Amino acid sequence: MNTLTIWWDTAADGPTNMAADECLAAEAERRGSLLMRFYDWSTTTISLGGFQKIEDANRVGVIRGVPLVRRPSGGGAIVHGSDLTYAAAVPKSHPWGASPQAFYDALHGAMVESLAQHGIDARPYPAAGTLPPGGDGAVGSDARMVPDESRFFCFDRRAAGDLVMAGPTEGTFSKIMGSAQRRLAGVVLQHGSLLLHSNTSVDGAARHRGVADLLAEQRPIDRVALSRAWGRRIATALGGSLHEQGASFLSAHQHDIAALALRFREDRWTARR
Amino acid sequence: MAADLKFAKTHEWVRSEANGVNTVGISSYAVEALTDLVFMQLPPVGKKVKAGESFGEIESVKAVSDLYAPISGEIVEVNTALPGKLETLGKDPYGEGWVVRIKADNPAELDNLLDRGAYESLVGSQPH
Repeated sequence: MNTLTIWWDTAADGPTNMAADECLAAEAERRGSLLMRFYDWSTTTISLGGFQKIEDANRVGVIRGVPLVRRPSGGGAIVHGSDLTYAAAVPKSHPWGASPQAFYDALHGAMVESLAQHGIDARPYPAAGTLPPGGDGAVGSDARMVPDESRFFCFDRRAAGDLVMAGPTEGTFSKIMGSAQRRLAGVVLQHGSLLLHSNTSVDGAARHRGVADLLAEQRPIDRVALSRAWGRRIATALGGSLHEQGASFLSAHQHDIAALALRFREDRWTARR
Repeated sequence: MAADLKFAKTHEWVRSEANGVNTVGISSYAVEALTDLVFMQLPPVGKKVKAGESFGEIESVKAVSDLYAPISGEIVEVNTALPGKLETLGKDPYGEGWVVRIKADNPAELDNLLDRGAYESLVGSQPH
């Protein structure tokens, strides 16, 4: 119950990654413990939230030509390619599986500590009830960010527990990390994205500032070192042990993943809403 | 919480009505845990469902959750007003917040569900 097992995977396309995450969820339920997978994308890809409308994606002209995949999890669209993408799965019987906020806060809290270890000051976006009079005064605000699910991109939305950093001008901030879940009968799958830097493959509204863009001094962010530090912090928060896997999750489950990926390749899945 | 309700471990409640029809909804515990509901997708009338299978989806700010059929049968009525008034799920989860009505294939399946006391023990043991 108190172990965390982590895989680092090579780049794959959207349907393969979504299928691998479903496979990860099934494996977490079978093992009865927390599993995580870090992965990359073979090309810049946009993942749509489970409830987003395909016509909303079609209206966002700046993403035309970029491959789309629909996640099973909720939340807004994410442009992948310059982010640290993860999937984490935990059985519902696990203390972190019982409520959406518990799992969300556990992982994001550990990321705040890991970023601090790398000299990066991020903080969770406060819950609505804890905002001081005047709204966002505690952390400043970015004009593009409103508490409105109609915003197409994840990084234009905000919810309690999202991670934010101070923006380029005083009194503003930017969202750098968001996560969303799919809650199944016996297991919770959580997807999330830490935006490391802006994605130059897209323009306009699709391009958001990432961690590197918000730092006072220019420096690269070592995604592997950061993800390993995060894994250790999560294991500590869990009060358990960490098992880092040398082999790829994709390779170990390639036949199951290939079969599951067929659904995510179908237009009727991508355009189901 | 009315005493005549039965519950699935996946947090759907069932109230048996006349003629083998059963009203199904979502427990107040589940609604509270999900917080900030934003979308809901319900099945069409006439859809056949099996106990334990997903018959709909509900999205909160952070999560998409499946709604699971507590019994097998046919969906004979859907609360079509609900997706436009999701706050009803929180205000009156066991009344106006009902979700679907299912004509049971096998009423004996109701015996597999939890009574109120057993359900309260289940959710009482789960961390919030």
